[in-house]
Amino acid sequence: MIKTVIPVGPFHPLLEEAEYFTLTVDGETVVDIDMDIGWMHRGHEYLSEGKTFTQSIYLVERICGICSTSHPIACAHAIEDVDNVEIPPRAAYIRTLVGELERIHSHLLWLGLAGHFIGYDTLWMWAWKYREPVLQIFEKISGNRNHYGMLRVGGVGRDVDPDSISGLLRILDEVWRKIEMVAQAAGDDPVLKARLKGVGVLSKQAAVDYCAVGPTARASGVPIDVRKDEPSDAYGLVEFKKIVLQNGDVYDKLVVRLLETLESIKIVRQCLEKLKAAPGAILNDVKEISAGEGIGRYEAPRGEVFHYVRTDGSNRPIRHKVRAPSYVNIPTFAVSCKGIPVADVLITLASVDPCYCCTERAVRMVDSHNLPFRIDLAKLSREKTARIRREIHG
Amino acid sequence: MPNKETFLKEMGPRIGRLVDKKGRLYFEVAGKDLHEVVKYLFHKMDCRLSTATAMETYHGLEVLYHFSHDSTGQYYCPRVLMTDKKNPRMSSIAPIVKGAEWIEREMTEMLGITFDGHPRPERLLTREHPKGLDQPLRLRRPS
Repeated sequence: MIKTVIPVGPFHPLLEEAEYFTLTVDGETVVDIDMDIGWMHRGHEYLSEGKTFTQSIYLVERICGICSTSHPIACAHAIEDVDNVEIPPRAAYIRTLVGELERIHSHLLWLGLAGHFIGYDTLWMWAWKYREPVLQIFEKISGNRNHYGMLRVGGVGRDVDPDSISGLLRILDEVWRKIEMVAQAAGDDPVLKARLKGVGVLSKQAAVDYCAVGPTARASGVPIDVRKDEPSDAYGLVEFKKIVLQNGDVYDKLVVRLLETLESIKIVRQCLEKLKAAPGAILNDVKEISAGEGIGRYEAPRGEVFHYVRTDGSNRPIRHKVRAPSYVNIPTFAVSCKGIPVADVLITLASVDPCYCCTERAVRMVDSHNLPFRIDLAKLSREKTARIRREIHG
Repeated sequence: MPNKETFLKEMGPRIGRLVDKKGRLYFEVAGKDLHEVVKYLFHKMDCRLSTATAMETYHGLEVLYHFSHDSTGQYYCPRVLMTDKKNPRMSSIAPIVKGAEWIEREMTEMLGITFDGHPRPERLLTREHPKGLDQPLRLRRPS
């Protein structure tokens, strides 16, 4: 039996952060996968220890371009947890508003990429087109399409203009209609179901063993969601459903994200309605943080973001631990990628929503004829979809 | 399902100094008792390991595991202290909790803590680092 090793990465268009996967295949079936991370290690934890608390929030905002408000929220929660600092109600609604808008744009970004990887380029273009108005809402609220700079210890740094809310609600109504349309089109498509159902299954037990989080865990029947389990900010004041499915395959991860996007729009609407009617302060004056330790977390689009700070009474953390959701979701590939065809690897790796980095694979392999060895996972994946489409539609 | 009171009652003899904050329970555990406490948290209470934090203090090194009890939102954080700064070592919990494998590898390379019984004690983040970093989170704190 001849086994072949296929390298994916460290720089690959699929992967936001440079990661290196080594697939061992027997014929077309993956029998083992190994992961090598650390290509983008930037030492944020060490850097943070040289920053003030306010600067730390700005620093962690730059850990990820997609979850750029999840890290600041978790960081602020951790610092506030040291002294049980309360924040004003209006600030709580603004934090929740920004966090949920981020979930909508992140899930739509993922949906587009997933569509592209399996040869549904129309889905990709739709999803990214309908993500654009969400970025415009961000620009209206914060002045930026990304890296919003909204978070402060004790609240938020920028208010939402009540006069702009009616316009934002109208944009959201349009986004809701479009996402419903995409969800229905995706749900009704037999090719999409045939392509994604039963692919890259992560069992509930494996999700628990690997301590997976976010949609990766919820699609496998693990009912965890920080927004419900430990409601912070305005999550205890708004109504929404926790989306949990059971099969653990890529299709269920897609459905979880689509339904969560709709739930997020519901939350955003509720926050905007409250902000229209509830004037007040947006920042409590926090003079100092005493010596102690605090844990902060937030349900980012990919799952729980965790921050821990240790303080000594000065204005800086003496230890700041950060754990992003991909850190616990990526190891689940050891289960979900084993035994599947190579053509399904791409969408399975993408199913935990690793972000996107527009770079190309850098490893050079040489085959037995001393020619460059190449395997195009995207091409394989799209060919499989085309084959299923032909079988179904003739 | 055991709760905080049951945990404190059953694991009481294994628990040292304890800090009980709103939704957070930080407590010291001797290295020899760590496995029992972790098994109780992970198997009996269905806690999930969020991550672990290691740091150097004036007295030695410490590893703080963060177990989330998702059904109540409570955190249980067992803390293991090591006074031997030159050769800090403790037993790995990765054989019990698979999700601890990466973070223990990271703590080894960042602070030089040896986790006995770890299934794959290799570098995680700095294997390919051009400067060959060695225990970078300890460099600025002379022992």
